[in-house]
Order: sequence, then structure tokens, then C-alpha cells
Amino acid sequence: MIDLINLSKHFGNIKAVDILNLSVSSGELFGFIGPNGAGKTTTIQMIGGLLAPTEGSVIIDGIDMAKEPEKAKKKIGLIPDRPFLYEKLTGMEFLKFTADLYEVSEEAFLENTEKILNMFSLIDRAHELIESYSHGMKQRLIMSAALLHEPLLIVVDEPMVGLDPRGIKMVKNLFRSLVAKGTTIFMSTHTLRLAEDVCDRIGIINNGKLIATGTINELKHTAQIGEADLEEVFFQLTEEEISL
Amino acid sequence: MKQAVILLNPRLLSFRNKGFAKDRSIRLIIFAGIGISFWAGIFAICYRVLMYFQRVEGIGNILAYKLLSMVLLIFFSLLIFSSILTSLSNLYMSKDLTLVHSLPVPGEKIFLAKWIESTIDSSWMVVVYAIPVFISYGIVFKAGPFFYIDIALTLFPLCIIASALSSIMVLVIVIILPASRIRSIFVFLGLVLLVILYTTFRLLRPERLVNTENFASLLSYLNNLSAPSYPLLPSTWAFDSLKAALIGDASCSLFNVALSMSCAAFLIFSSILIARAIYFKGFSKSQASMARLFQHKKERLDKLFSFLSGPTKSFVVKEIKTFLRDQAQWSQIFLIGALIVIYTYNFSVLPIEQSPIKSVYLQNLLSFLNVALAAFVLISVTARFAFPSISIEGSSFWIVRSAPIPLRTFLWIKFFIYLFPLLILSEILIVVTNLLLNVTPFMMYLSIITLFFLTPGVVSLGIGLGAAYPDFNSENPAHTVAGFGGLVFMIISAAYIGAVIVLEAGPVYTIFMSGIRNENLSCFQLLWIIGSFFTAFLISMLAIILPMRFGEKRLMRGFFR
Ligand SMILES: Nc1ncnc2c1ncn2[C@@H]1O[C@H](COP(=O)(O)OP(=O)(O)OP(=O)(O)O)[C@@H](O)[C@H]1O
Ligand SMILES: [Mg+2]
Repeated sequence: MIDLINLSKHFGNIKAVDILNLSVSSGELFGFIGPNGAGKTTTIQMIGGLLAPTEGSVIIDGIDMAKEPEKAKKKIGLIPDRPFLYEKLTGMEFLKFTADLYEVSEEAFLENTEKILNMFSLIDRAHELIESYSHGMKQRLIMSAALLHEPLLIVVDEPMVGLDPRGIKMVKNLFRSLVAKGTTIFMSTHTLRLAEDVCDRIGIINNGKLIATGTINELKHTAQIGEADLEEVFFQLTEEEISL
Repeated sequence: MKQAVILLNPRLLSFRNKGFAKDRSIRLIIFAGIGISFWAGIFAICYRVLMYFQRVEGIGNILAYKLLSMVLLIFFSLLIFSSILTSLSNLYMSKDLTLVHSLPVPGEKIFLAKWIESTIDSSWMVVVYAIPVFISYGIVFKAGPFFYIDIALTLFPLCIIASALSSIMVLVIVIILPASRIRSIFVFLGLVLLVILYTTFRLLRPERLVNTENFASLLSYLNNLSAPSYPLLPSTWAFDSLKAALIGDASCSLFNVALSMSCAAFLIFSSILIARAIYFKGFSKSQASMARLFQHKKERLDKLFSFLSGPTKSFVVKEIKTFLRDQAQWSQIFLIGALIVIYTYNFSVLPIEQSPIKSVYLQNLLSFLNVALAAFVLISVTARFAFPSISIEGSSFWIVRSAPIPLRTFLWIKFFIYLFPLLILSEILIVVTNLLLNVTPFMMYLSIITLFFLTPGVVSLGIGLGAAYPDFNSENPAHTVAGFGGLVFMIISAAYIGAVIVLEAGPVYTIFMSGIRNENLSCFQLLWIIGSFFTAFLISMLAIILPMRFGEKRLMRGFFR
């Protein structure tokens, strides 16, 4: 579903992402972890078509993002790390906006919004301006909007920031059920427990380089740690424990 | 005071950190060049006017003094005008306020820091452009060095007074408006500004300067001119001080300076006291959004635009709703409205009927002038609304970038959203003013057609250059037009309009002359006329297409480094 080929992004002389090669197959929930400034957000922005790579290419479901961006973007539901929205629209209007943008039919829109808004507990506030929403509510609205057109691929940057425990649990279950139905999810996170709980496969990125990929067990093997959890693996591989 | 200074530091540091990158210094040079030529222009005009007054026997000095007092009054109202807007945004709207209010600093200190910031923001430009006026007075009146010192001594308290008065006004307005209406503050301010505008005009009584007929004799005219102005106005103190300094009466001059200074000091202390009592309260109030009072309506807009494709409709609806719900935009509409009313009013009082050279030629000239003026209104409205419309996307621009539509489509949607209202506006403007001018039918059609082509060109320049030089982090996107891109927009649009008018004026003159002389146009003339109009048409087409391309390319590059 996602193929990243020699993907690089340089900001001046900072190599935010450095020759990254990665494949995520259909129906997989891929977790992307790494320290602050490792290049997760940059990678996600390139996958979503917000940034063009300095080198390399992003292939979504066989479509090259650089060549047919509109076609590729149509398959993606992007959930960025910070919920910047059109503050002067109401939640409902924003959903309608997204639905029109992705050409969701009127019937599907009516059916899906009701369901999604209920799921994200936004139904009571749907007709208020977004500027009056709390941070978590905005995050929920962005997720709702990204799910509305039933994308094949969901790309999420730190999904749990700002969500309450109930929301986190709901999103976890939601992701699992979407993956069960064949949706692919690419998720960056700092919550290692979450990655451990829901991800099929995990990639660890540090200083723009992908330093390890695999299932939890494979990673443990790579890190040569027996009975440790992902946290140990993370510290081991990113060599952060030295500074602790 | 120390805390207030600490609060000012971030601003100073970020100013310094902007550094002097290469393209920045080029911009700086361009800006400085334009600034200096304006400055020199003001000086030259003022100097010539004063020299002319000097040559008028007897009343020359009186006229010069009258002019000085008018300048000071206008200067003072401009200061108030701009301080109200800056102190409102600095005190209640700037983004760092939530952080600053969480610091262990009392409210009045925050107020003081923000107040100093807005005083400098709002007065530096007005002061810079007022100085050539005063210097030309100094030179013409051959004043001694004391006069130049006195300029600084009078302007400083005048700025302080204006800024303190405005901030007190803003503090009080925010408190008295009910929380639910706080977002309508701009409507309120629009009214205040109109009142200031009106009072200034009433106080100036400009018609008395020109209209000698109303006075029985020259003597009463002179008496009227030299009549004492309003003794309680701060601008009068500044005037008295400067006038005394011009004739070398230092003690009288210093007395008036002292008067201003003490008033300024009094106002600063009062504003701090008031701020201590109500600033924080007002700030908390201003943070509330009108959202909860928002009425859900049926989707009428959606229906209206249902003929458009999904993605296009979604952006059109979003754009219109956002615009209508953004109160900050409304204050702009007030200003533009005032501009247009003044513009058409001028035409309605123009004494064309009494003009001695009542000829077709003059009317032609006037109607071309009218096209130019309407285009000028068009440029300023475009600069206010269309140009910032890309920057206004701000942090939510990721939605556009991740949306499955090309950037080009997005820009063209913006183009059409602004084109239609602006086209209607400029056509109404030109038709009404042409009717007031009583132009020939030929000129009427020509100006209608001309504006029909000029408007898309100007809008395309606005959107294209706005996209080429966006500022997504701007606190107030309307101000992006004051940047480099805005400057480029103004210069190119002015050149474009100038070119089209010149290309049309020549042929029109020939056609008229041949009409008067009852001659037929020669073959060569006909070719030239067609060629000229065609070139104007061609330029317009280029003005529509090229800027949009340029904007798209630059905007792409901004994201695709
Ligand atoms: N617009 C930009 N201009 C310059 N450098 C940037 C820009 N965006 C990101 N970077 C740099 O790229 C590197 C990777 O940043 P990125 O945001 O991808 O990290 P991240 O893994 O998402 O970190 P975090 O966990 O903090 O969200 C950092 O060194 C950052 O400083
Ligand atoms: Mg990040």
C-alpha cells in the first residue's frame, strides 16, 4: 500500500529524512516511533503529499505521489499532529466540506456522519463553531473528517495527543476494526504501549534513518534483549539510555 | 517598569534575529528607496506651498499658520486612528497574550509593555512622514535650532497622548461590550473611526480656507482664519508651541510643551490605573468565542452552489462562510465603504457645470481620470481582501495541501470568489460616477468594457502575488499586503492600469477629433486604433494568466523545497 523508495528530505543542511526505504502492505497497522526530531512528522507529511521529497519517491497503492498527486491523495485520510482547522466553520460544516472535497455522495455522507459523530461523541456540539472546541475535540473532528470518505490508507501523526482515556480506548478499537476490514494504517506515536498493543509491525527512526523494522519479537531479537518490552528495545536501539 | 521591559525583549530579539539575509537586504533597499522618495515628495510639496504663501502679501503668514494647525490636527487624528487599531490588536488579540498572562507579572505591567509596543507601532510612520512638513516650515521661516528641538519636544507628548487616549478608549469599550458581542467590536470601532473622521473635518472647516465668497470682506475672512483654535485640543498646544518656536519665543513655546507633557504624564498614569482595574477582566472576556450563540441554519449556500463540482463547491462555501463570520474583515469593509463614499461624493459636488472650458475634450479627460480612480479603488479593495486571501489560510493550509485537488484549481477558485463581487463593485462605481460626470455614451461603454477587463487582471495579480509571497504565520493576514509581495502587487497593478489607459486614450482622442472635424478616419489611423485596443486586450489577458502561473509556481516551491 505504501512504498517509500530512497526517500530523503533536507531542510538546508539538516537531513530530516535520510534515504528511507520502507514498504507497508495492505491491511497492516504500521507503527512509526522515534525520538523528538527524528523525522516522523516529515515522513508523514511526504506520504500525505504536504511536502515534496528532496529525493526519492512515495508510492501509494501503486500511484506515484509526485506524478498523480490528486489520485494518490484521494486514497489517503490524513490526521496531522496539530489540529489546525477552519475555525469559522462549524464541526458539521467542516465534515460537509471534506465530504464535498472527496466527492462523498449525499447518502453516504448522511449515513456516515451520524455514525462517526456518535462514535467520537461530537454529535451534541456539531453545530458549534470549531473555534470554540477544545483541543481534544478538534482532534476528534479531524479524525472524523479523515474517516468520512472511507480511505484505503489512514496516515496518523500522534493520534492520542489530547484524547481522554475513553477516546484512546475507542480509537484503539477503531483502528483494529478498520485494519480487520482491510484498511492500512500508518501511525507515528510516542506512546510505546499503544504501539505494542495495536501495531502489526513497527519501524524505529532516528536522525532521519530507519534503524529497525519488524514485529515486536523481531525487534527484540535485533536489540538482543530477551524478556524486555518495547521501551527497552526503543532505548537500546536509539541509544538514548546512555544519557539517562 | 523592569518587568515591562523584560516583556518587550522577545519582540526586540525576534526583530534582531530576522537578520540580514541577502534577499532581505534587497527588499530593504527597495522599501527604503520608496520611503525616501515619498519623504522627499512631501518635503518638496510642502516647501513649495509655503514659499508660495510667503509671496502672498499680508496674509501669507496667516495662511501658513492655518495650514500648520490643520496639519497638526490631521496628524493627531491619524495617530488616534492608528493607535486604536494597534492597541486593540496588541492588548487583546496578539497570539502571545495567553502566554504573557500566565507569567507572574501583574496585569498593569503587561498593559504597560503592550502599550509601549503599540505606541511605537502606531506612531513611527506618522512621525516619519510629518517631519518633512515641519522641516520645511523651519527652512521657509528661517527658524533657529530651537525650532528643530521643539519639533521633537512637541511630537513626543502628542504621540503619547494619542496612544494613551486610544488605549483608555479600547480598555473601556472591551469592558462595556457584553461578552457575547465582543467579537462585534470591529463594528463598534468602525463607528468610532467614522466619528473621528467627521469631527476632524468639522474642526478643520476646510471650506473656509477656499471659499472667500461667504465672507463679506477680506477682513472678516482674515479674522476668521486667525481666530483662535480649540484651546483644549492637544494639537493646539503643539501648534502654539511650534508657532512660538518659529518666531523665536522660547518661553511661550516651552510653556506649551510643558502643558502637553503634563497631560501626557497624567494620561499614562490614568491608563495604568484603569488597566489595573479592568485590563485582565476585559482580556478574559475577549477570549470567549461567539460560537455558543451560533444559530444553526439550513444549508442554503450548499444548495445555491450545487451546480459546482464537489471540491470546488466545498471551497467556495467555506470561503464565503469564513469571510462572513470573520468580524475583522468587517472593519475593513467599513474603511473601504468610507473610501468609496468619499470618492463618489467628490464627483457629485464637482463644479463641472461652471467650468469655463466646457468641452468634449475636458469630459473625455475626466472620464479617463475616472477610470483610473475607479481602478485605484479596485486596487485597494483587492489589496485588502484578495491579496491576503492565501495567507489567511494560515496553519490550516495543510488541508489544501492534502486535498485531492491541484493547487492550481484552488487558486482559481480563490480568483473567481473575489472576481465576482469586485467586478460588480467596480462596474457600479464606474457607471454611477460616469452618470454624475455626464459622459458621452461612447465613453460610458468604453469604461464599462475597460473595467470588465481590468478587474480580472487586477484580481489575478492580487491572488497570484498573494500566493507567491504568502505569510502563513501572520498574526493579521490583512497586513501581509504591507510586505514585499504587496508592494510588488501595487506597483505592477498600477503599471498595468496605466498602460491600458494610455493605450486607449490615444485612439479615443483621435476618434473624437475626427468626429468634431467631421472627417473620416484614415486607413493608417484605423489600423493604429485597432492595434492599440488589441494591445490593451492582450496585456489584460497576460495580466490574468501570468500572475496566477507565477503564484502557483512559487507556492509549490515554498512547500517543495
Ligand atoms: N520546516 C522545517 N524547516 C527546517 N527544519 C525542519 C522543518 N520541519 C522539520 N525540521 C527538522 O527536521 C527534523 C525532523 O523533524 P520532525 O518534525 O519530522 O520530527 P518528529 O520525529 O516528528 O519529532 P517529534 O517527535 O518531536 O514530533 C528536525 O530536526 C526538525 O528540526
Ligand atoms: Mg512530529
